Amino acid sequence: MSLLSVDHLSIGYQTKKGMLKAVDNIRFDLEKGQSLGFVGESGCGKTTIGMALMGLLPENAVILGGHIRFQGEDLASLTETQWQTVRGAKIAMIFQAAMNALNPVMPVNEQIKEAIITHQPDISKTDLADRMKELFDLVDIPARRMKDYPHEYSGGMKQRAIIAMALACDPALIIADEPTTALDVIVQDQILREIKKVQEATRTGLVFISHDIAVVASVCERICVMYAGQIVETGTRKEVFKSPRHPYTRTLLNSYLSLDNLNDIRVPDMKESPDQMIDTDECRFAGSCAYAKGCAGRSPDWIDISPTHKAFCCNPDMIRRGHGKS
Amino acid sequence: MEKADSKSRILVEMKQVTKAYASRKKLFTGSSPQVLALNSIDLSIAKGEVFGLVGQSGSGKTTTGRLLVRLESPTAGEIFFNKTPISQLKGSGLKTYRSRVQMIFQDPYQSLNPHLSIAETVLEPLIVQKIGTPDTRTEKVVHTLDTVGLSPGEAFFNRYPHQLSGGQRQRVAIARAIVLEPQFIVADEPTSMLDATIAIQLFQLLEQIKETFGMTVLFITHNLAAARYMCDRIAVIHDGHIVEVNTADNIIRHPEHPYTKQLIKVQPGFKYTR
Amino acid sequence: MQNKYFWWRFYKGWRIFIENPLGKTGVIILSVFMIMAMASFFVPLIDPMYDPMTGIDPDIKLSTGPGLTHWLGTDNVGRDILAQLLEGAKVAFIVGLSSAFFSIVIGTLIGMIAGYTGGIIDAALMRFADIIMVLPSLVILLILASLFGQFNIWIIVFIIAILRWPAVSRVIRSQTLSLKHRPFIEASRVAGASHVRIVLRHIMPNVLPLAFLYMTFRVTSAILVEASLSFLGFGDPSQVSWGMMLQWVWKSGHMFQAPYWLIPPGLCISLLTLAFYMLGRAMDEVLDPRLRKEGQTG
Ligand SMILES: Nc1ncnc2c1ncn2[C@@H]1O[C@H](COP(=O)(O)OP(=O)(O)OP(=O)(O)O)[C@@H](O)[C@H]1O
Ligand SMILES: Nc1ncnc2c1ncn2[C@@H]1O[C@H](COP(=O)(O)OP(=O)(O)OP(=O)(O)O)[C@@H](O)[C@H]1O
Ligand code: SF4
Ligand SMILES: [Mg+2]
Ligand SMILES: [Mg+2]
Repeated sequence: MSLLSVDHLSIGYQTKKGMLKAVDNIRFDLEKGQSLGFVGESGCGKTTIGMALMGLLPENAVILGGHIRFQGEDLASLTETQWQTVRGAKIAMIFQAAMNALNPVMPVNEQIKEAIITHQPDISKTDLADRMKELFDLVDIPARRMKDYPHEYSGGMKQRAIIAMALACDPALIIADEPTTALDVIVQDQILREIKKVQEATRTGLVFISHDIAVVASVCERICVMYAGQIVETGTRKEVFKSPRHPYTRTLLNSYLSLDNLNDIRVPDMKESPDQMIDTDECRFAGSCAYAKGCAGRSPDWIDISPTHKAFCCNPDMIRRGHGKS
Repeated sequence: MEKADSKSRILVEMKQVTKAYASRKKLFTGSSPQVLALNSIDLSIAKGEVFGLVGQSGSGKTTTGRLLVRLESPTAGEIFFNKTPISQLKGSGLKTYRSRVQMIFQDPYQSLNPHLSIAETVLEPLIVQKIGTPDTRTEKVVHTLDTVGLSPGEAFFNRYPHQLSGGQRQRVAIARAIVLEPQFIVADEPTSMLDATIAIQLFQLLEQIKETFGMTVLFITHNLAAARYMCDRIAVIHDGHIVEVNTADNIIRHPEHPYTKQLIKVQPGFKYTR
Repeated sequence: MQNKYFWWRFYKGWRIFIENPLGKTGVIILSVFMIMAMASFFVPLIDPMYDPMTGIDPDIKLSTGPGLTHWLGTDNVGRDILAQLLEGAKVAFIVGLSSAFFSIVIGTLIGMIAGYTGGIIDAALMRFADIIMVLPSLVILLILASLFGQFNIWIIVFIIAILRWPAVSRVIRSQTLSLKHRPFIEASRVAGASHVRIVLRHIMPNVLPLAFLYMTFRVTSAILVEASLSFLGFGDPSQVSWGMMLQWVWKSGHMFQAPYWLIPPGLCISLLTLAFYMLGRAMDEVLDPRLRKEGQTG
């Protein structure tokens, strides 16, 4: 049994103009101790997935179909009271710019203690102290800084404290939504290492969300590339980055500036993202795809490249052929 | 580029510039320690050059940019634009200077007035600087919107910032900056909040604008790869000091300062595959 | 060109306003009161006995209940209650809108100046505002009233405005402070805009929603203060108002005998303040595009 298994999940937002399908027929599995990265441009539905896994979807969101099975239990059907025993205890989340989520008038260690006590009301004083020490060790905050107030921490330290808080109840699954987007490169590098180290040490499942492919690549073993609410390619880190197959993944990788690929940057001719109000079975990427010729009127399908590597496209030949470019 | 030649074509020069901020007063001691955002830096940018300023958060990049567009004044030292000192400019002299230098801000969600339509936003600098007649101004706005890739310009006229995507907003901010046809633009991390696919298109737009208008650009970023892609020369700034200046390629290939080396090391890339 | 945008925005704003359920309800209630206020000009023309102040029905010496000639009845000297109610609506509008308007104008200006300039000017203005703010307005009014006797209605308006601007200016100042360093303000500085232009063109539209919100709240409180003063007997005795009507009910000992006399002014006070509150909320959505729901702006 997988730790997390998401099956044909679709989520819409009710808006004045109609239903906006933010997540469309998504499926993926996550085993214990594994890390799975979601990458895609702004608005492709990454946060929506994360919020669904936490039971924190906004009021106007509707789960249109599908299942989220976590340790065998279907999360999509939980009531709010049932959620409260899961959220924070079994599944924890690190939000974007979460450092602003710390209470400014409460010492950091008190806030983490509170997180523990909420889910383990009868924990003993000594156990609590041990656990606190363990947590601060894990995220590399020196013990003498435990009792500081959030404003005495740097941005990076605050984000570490948030990680400690997420780990407080020993969750089986952590969801990290853009945990480093508000930080600078040097601190980002430290935090990514931290997350990876902690995840490997605790054997927690990790769902890692970012719009920055390189960041996802540095943390996750498996990657899902999303476009307009759908997963368009999934595979191991190596497969996706060394031999991307879906035209969108290639566009994404081609336009990513890194220090060693300057000469073969290709500026994509991206159109506006497709209108997610329109429900269609056709490929959402067709408007910006160089191979879109025969694709109108057809619906894309999953094409296997390897047992772990798949792409969602109408053009199996092109996908299987690959283009060797990373 | 020959030394003497480059000297003669210098557009912007900072000499021994220091900027200190009084940080918040300590509640009980009453002392107000200073934050040295910039510590006696020297910098010169040649006409037509794209000059990169790279460093981590808090290193003083934005402060440099703000000094150059006169949003701040230096605590010590002097800044020259076309060999004229600018830090004492006032009144009409300052206003003229402001038609020559412009800035693009980091956060496209904060840098546009939510109450002004796109047309009003781009029109604003022309009105402030009293350039043209109402009719020629409108024409100019349409033309500028076209230039930044918001075409047809008329279609965006009556839209408001909240109706645009982040990338489109940043294009509006660029339009607002270039509508006065300035000689010098400070771009402060213009794409750090945007997706890679959108960022690269904006880079290309900036490059193309720079070519057509012959502008000089100070490109501020913490992303070395972006700096290398955009810039002719790069300066690395650390804790208010410029630690290294060199051509873009040399900085990356032959970094000299340890801090530069560390920056290069932490740049995200896809080298993580084991 | 500028004009076209203005009208376009005005039209859009009005559409959003009227589509908002709160706004719609507020406008409906308010229009009823407006019609009442208008009607107050015409009623005395029908018959001098319908004059709210001086019109006494020669046939009636006591307070009477609703009837054909006096739809809501009369007071104890035979004056028509409906006519007084209509007059009261007019007075409430005058008192509420004018005192709110003055305190908003003063408060917004002072708030923007304090927030934008900062430093000593800011500190001085805000200390001054603090001093005024802690003065309890009703008590002050009562003291003044007991010193100078009963008040003319314009003096009440004026005093309320003077006492109420600090709350507005505090809110506007903190809003201005948070706006002052926003990149879009700095962008206009970089473009060479003068301070006056920045304040009027960039800061004011952003604080105006708040000012209006406050204005409508102030309308509420001004109407209430005027009503309380009048009820307590410090109002302008030559001027009918809802509070004054209540005072008359009380003074003539009809509090528990004449519900037809007591209830209408009380109900009107509540309904009108409620309407202004609803309008405030709706107004906020019109003036702040970020609050607009998607799809309404097109
Ligand atoms: N509460 C909401 N009501 C209506 N639409 C929403 C709501 N929240 C999100 N959306 C829309 O759903 C889509 C997916 O949003 P989501 O936040 O999941 O994207 P994302 O991939 O996390 O983007 P980002 O990188 O910008 O955080 C977007 O088009 C967004 O505009
Ligand atoms: N108005 C101010 N008052 C006090 N200190 C300031 C002010 N503005 C900047 N500083 C300080 O000056 C230093 C340099 O700041 P600056 O904004 O130039 O950094 P930066 O390189 O642009 O960083 P980032 O990448 O985070 O934008 C920082 O230590 C900052 O805290
Ligand atoms: S289905 Fe067609 S349009 Fe879509 S990605 Fe594949 S080739 Fe391109
Ligand atoms: Mg998100
Ligand atoms: Mg900065």
